[in-house]
Amino acid sequence: MYQYTEFDKHFVHQRAAQYRDQLERHLRGQLPDDDFRALRLQNGWYVQRHAPMLRIAVPYGELNSTQLRALGRIARDFDRGYGHFTTRQNLQFNWIPLDRSADVMDVLASVDMHGIQTSGNCIRNTTSDCFAGVAADEAIDPRPYCEVLRQWSTLHPEFAFLPRKFKIAVTGAAEDRAATGWHDIGLRLLTNDAGEVGFQVRVGGGMGRTPIIGTVIREFLPWQQILVFIEAIVRVYNKHGRRDNAYKARIKILVKAEGQRFIDDVNEEFEHILRDDVDGTAHLIPQAELDRVSASFALPAGVKPRAADVPAWQMQADAPGGFKRWLERNTHAHKLPGYRAVTLSLKRAGQAPGDATDVQMDLAADLADRYSHGELRVSHDQNLVLPWVQETDLFGLWNAARDASFATPNIGLLTDMIACPGGDFCALANARSIPIAAEITERFADIDELYDIGDIDLHISGCINSCGHHHSGHIGILGVDKDGKEWYQISLGGSDGSALATTSVPGKVIGPSFAADEVADVIDAVIETYRAERVTNEHFIDTVKRVGLDPFKTAANATRRSTAQVA
Amino acid sequence: MKFIDARDKPRDPWHTIDGDDGPMVTLTPAPFSLLTLLQWRGVRSHWPDGMPVGVLLANDVEVSEIAADLPRLALVALQFPKWIDGRAYSQGRLLRSRYRYTGQVRAVGEVLVDMMPLLQRTGFDAVVMRADQSVDAAERALGFFNGHYQGDALDNRPLFALPPGASNAHEPEFVNAGASI
Repeated sequence: MYQYTEFDKHFVHQRAAQYRDQLERHLRGQLPDDDFRALRLQNGWYVQRHAPMLRIAVPYGELNSTQLRALGRIARDFDRGYGHFTTRQNLQFNWIPLDRSADVMDVLASVDMHGIQTSGNCIRNTTSDCFAGVAADEAIDPRPYCEVLRQWSTLHPEFAFLPRKFKIAVTGAAEDRAATGWHDIGLRLLTNDAGEVGFQVRVGGGMGRTPIIGTVIREFLPWQQILVFIEAIVRVYNKHGRRDNAYKARIKILVKAEGQRFIDDVNEEFEHILRDDVDGTAHLIPQAELDRVSASFALPAGVKPRAADVPAWQMQADAPGGFKRWLERNTHAHKLPGYRAVTLSLKRAGQAPGDATDVQMDLAADLADRYSHGELRVSHDQNLVLPWVQETDLFGLWNAARDASFATPNIGLLTDMIACPGGDFCALANARSIPIAAEITERFADIDELYDIGDIDLHISGCINSCGHHHSGHIGILGVDKDGKEWYQISLGGSDGSALATTSVPGKVIGPSFAADEVADVIDAVIETYRAERVTNEHFIDTVKRVGLDPFKTAANATRRSTAQVA
Repeated sequence: MKFIDARDKPRDPWHTIDGDDGPMVTLTPAPFSLLTLLQWRGVRSHWPDGMPVGVLLANDVEVSEIAADLPRLALVALQFPKWIDGRAYSQGRLLRSRYRYTGQVRAVGEVLVDMMPLLQRTGFDAVVMRADQSVDAAERALGFFNGHYQGDALDNRPLFALPPGASNAHEPEFVNAGASI
């Protein structure tokens, strides 16, 4: 993974010092709440229901064991002993008092971490494929490009106060595991006929009140030009994005409203920069810089692909059934012979999806040291990944992961759901997510049943801000508030654009909202309908597409009790 | 960065030309007039050569609108109606990097201490801060970083385009220099 230079290290320390100065002025009464808000947000500090929430950047999801232990230490020493991994590959804490926030930034800086631009109306942490650099279906490793983007976007002086937040996702694999179509800018690395590397550039995707898939603005942009092209996009957005209405301020609204004119403006601005600006070509990325950054992403020392004359690893014939299942669900094809990527499931009964305690963070760090050269990833699906596991270590890792409660063999299944923290923590939420997730997890505890249901994405958001990506769930659950009570809208047929349904699309709502105590029954009814309707080997999403929403609506409505009158 | 106290007229001769109902439409050229774009368009054809004049540009106006006039303008004032409205940063950057403007670029409106690094890096060299802001704190705000990744109006080259060792990032004592008071 990327190795911080002296410059990078100083930079995060300088940022921590700057934040401490701002905090101290705030605590002395010299920086009022209204003025401090945007400053703390751009360091990751929200004020939430109970205390400030801190969102820590995990750049494109890469983390080492030292960093994870530091996060565990922060959970223990400053929080209440746990944190929450998010769909944007970040980590959130919920209980840190604001007057200790600068101390936490110092701890983070000591392990090359920070909260820079994890909130606020600026360019956010760039996200990527959690299997970047190890995936068997990857053509080009996106991580060096992500790192160049991270550096360019960090404290960009022109783009710190955009109309609204701005999110970039990058992938280099055949399967889109980074939901690039759903981002303000979605980048797919590809090779043209001449063998040159470049990006397909999408712009204007997003969730929220107006779910839109990004528009392709360039089919092939040479990689050297990516910073200049993004500068052009963001400048046009900064100038013309709406600032009169926060719900219409994302770039997707501008792209939709302006259409071709937006694309023309961006292309014109791009030409202007290269042709007219002082040192306008200075941000074209030189090969030497890409090489310098790429050197950090070489294979970890000690990683040795299985030699051609060594027989492939075979699971022992008498291996336990649980191990077979774990192997099937929680381990993933690797680009190197003899290796697998392994998911440590953060979806288990008794804990909120994506949550990990300080002890679990330490245990995951230990597993990374023992089995994965000290390296981990945070996945878009809110799990941890060990990217460099030798097949011969899998059985040992399985046992160790079970001891640490990371081995639930449910990756890709119904209980491997995405959920935001919801109304239990978040000040924006209309409804709680965690109790809904818990009830569904409990309802579908039978592993045989989960396997029979098969691959499915269930996504839960506590409000329309869509942090739980309900739009892109095969089943989406959205918390809404009516008359001060919690209600839930259910949608079907959404997709994030990954393997099962490769075209990103928002789901369709199946009727009036359900009461909180009806939701698990609705999910049950929807799943039972699928089982009744499916043909052999048909995934849930394909059945929904084939038979349409009606049978699901009928079954869901039949479960109504408290909402029986309105339906 | 030049800190301008709007109440200290002798030290800052610039003045807007206002009537009872806002900016006056007809006006007589006088030195150090800071004009709206509309006012400037009314007088530009007969503004005396060499008489200092400035333009106050709204943040939704394209800088290209005044590109041809820039050699005649001693001052361009850019507005922050709210401090979290960042449009003027793009205007400042373009004035310097695209149109090579060398006169004063001044930030007016809701200008706060913590905007200083952004203003400086997008080409502003003068500010009129909100009345409650501290110049000491603003000067300190300019001192936390001794290098950045991307190019800016001070140096359009990003870190990776600088010769090795060009950035001053290797002074370890700097790290805690501004940490607390």
